Amino acid sequence: MFKVKITDAKLLRDMFQAIAILVDEATFNLTPELIQLRAMDPSRVAMVDFQWPKTIFDEYQCDQPQKMCINISELLKLLRRTAKEETIELSLNPENPRLQIGITGKYTRTFHMPTLEPQEEETPTPKITFKTTAKTTTDGFRQAIEDAQLVSDHVRIEADAEKLTLQATGDLMGATIELKKGSDALLDLQTQEPAKATFSLSYLVEIIKAASATSEIATLQFANDMPIRIDFHQPKEGKLTFYLAPRIEVE
Amino acid sequence: MSFMSIRKSVITYENPEVNEEIVMAIKDGLQKRRTLLLIGNCWVDYKGRASSRLEPGERLLIIKEDGSVLVHRPSGYEAVNWQPPGCIFQASVRDNSLKIKALRRKPRESLDIFFDHLYLLSIMKLDDAGEFSLHASEKDMQKAVLLKPSIIEEGLKPISFEKRVDPGFVDIYAIDKDGKFVVVEIKRKVAGRNAVLQLSKYVKAVQAIVNREVRGVLAAPALAKGTHKLLVTLGLTFKSLDPQKCARILHKSQTRRLSDFFATS
Repeated sequence: MFKVKITDAKLLRDMFQAIAILVDEATFNLTPELIQLRAMDPSRVAMVDFQWPKTIFDEYQCDQPQKMCINISELLKLLRRTAKEETIELSLNPENPRLQIGITGKYTRTFHMPTLEPQEEETPTPKITFKTTAKTTTDGFRQAIEDAQLVSDHVRIEADAEKLTLQATGDLMGATIELKKGSDALLDLQTQEPAKATFSLSYLVEIIKAASATSEIATLQFANDMPIRIDFHQPKEGKLTFYLAPRIEVE
Repeated sequence: MSFMSIRKSVITYENPEVNEEIVMAIKDGLQKRRTLLLIGNCWVDYKGRASSRLEPGERLLIIKEDGSVLVHRPSGYEAVNWQPPGCIFQASVRDNSLKIKALRRKPRESLDIFFDHLYLLSIMKLDDAGEFSLHASEKDMQKAVLLKPSIIEEGLKPISFEKRVDPGFVDIYAIDKDGKFVVVEIKRKVAGRNAVLQLSKYVKAVQAIVNREVRGVLAAPALAKGTHKLLVTLGLTFKSLDPQKCARILHKSQTRRLSDFFATS
C-alpha cells in the first residue's frame, strides 16, 4: 500500500513539471522513507535526480519498497486543474495497478490513471571530479541563460577565482555575461582551477525555467569539458539535481 | 492457426484469429505504449476536418509509441491514412472484425480501422537513441562558411547572409582582407552557367548600392565544363567547396552523452 497526502498542490505540480522536462514515462522508487527518481532524457544528454523525503508530505504511508511507473505528462494534465490551496492525495493499491489521484478543495474529485511497466535497471550518476562550485540565485542564473539564448543555441560557462562568465557565440552575434563574486546573483564561488565547458542552451533553458518554480538557490558544479551538475535547493532535505552533458569540439 | 514467437522485446503473432484474446494483447500493447505493427485485410473511415473512406484491401497499420498512426498500402512511400502523435486508442472486436479507433482531441478527428483478417501482429518495445545525421544541404554549407570563413579564403569576414538585393538573395555578403566587398554564392552540386550568371547579377546589384569594387565568389564542389571562360570574362572567381567538409565543420561541435561519464574519470 502506498498513500501520500500533500496540502500544497502547487508544490507537487511544479516538481512533476520539472521532471517532465526530461522524461515522459517516469519510474519512481517508493520506499517507507522517501520517493526517489533518477532518469535520463531519451537522447541521454541530460539527467534528473529527484528525491523527496516523507517529511515533505503531510501524510506518508508506504509499507514496502516498490516501483511505480507513470506517464508524467498525463498526470500533469490532472494536476494543472488544481488550485493553490487544494489538497492532493496519491494512492496505489497493490490489487489494482492504477494510481488514484484525489483532489480536495471547494469540491472533491478522484481521478485514476494506469501505471506502466516500471523500468528495472537503475540509472547511475556520472562520476566527475568537479573543479568549480558556484552558488547562484536561481533567478540570476536563469536571467543569464536567457540573455545567452538571444544570440546562440549554446553557451560556454567559465569560472576563475573571481567570477563566473557565460560566453555565447552565434552565427553573427555574441554575448558575454559576467557574474562577479559578491554580486547579488552570485552568492559563492569556489574554484580549484579555472574551468570551462560548453552546453546546449535548449536543455539549460528548459531545465532552469521549470526548476526555478521549485527553488530559490542553485548550485552549479563543473569542470573542463565535463557534464555540469545543477542542484536546485529544496526545502526539508528534498533534492532536485540535473546533469547535462557538454558539447565538445571534435577535430 | 495462431503461432506466437518471442524474440527479445518483440512479440509476434502470425495469422492470429480475430478474437477477444488478440484484442487484449493489442490493448495491453497500447497501454504500455509499445510500437504495434498489424498486417491484414482492412478498411478505414476517417472523420474530422474532412472525411474519407478506404475500401477493404491488404495493408500495413503502424501505431508508434508516441501515439502516431500510419496506414500503408503495398506501394507508395506515403501513408494513405495517418494521425500525428498523441492519439487515444480504443480496440474492440465485433462480428469477427477487429476495430481500432484512434482519436485526436484538437482538432477533433477520428480514424476507425477495421480488420477482418490479420496476417501478422507485432508488439514491440524498441530502443532507439541513435542520432540521425544528414549530409550538408546548401543551408548547412552556408552555416559552415559563416562559422569558418577561411574555407573560402583567408581573412574573409562575413557581414551578412541571405541579404536581399534586387534579383534575389545573396548567400553570404562579406569583406575580404583588403577591405573589398565580396558576394559569395554557394551551390551544393556542380555549378553551371546559370549559377555564374546569377552571381554576376548579384555582384552588379551590390555594386550599384555600395558604389565601389565588389568581388564575386562562386563556391561549389566543382565548376561545369566550359563555364570557366564565362566566369573569368565576368570577373568572378571560383572556389571549390565540398559539402562533406562543410558537414564536418558543423559537426565539430557535438553534444556528448551523459553515459560517456558513468565510468570513473
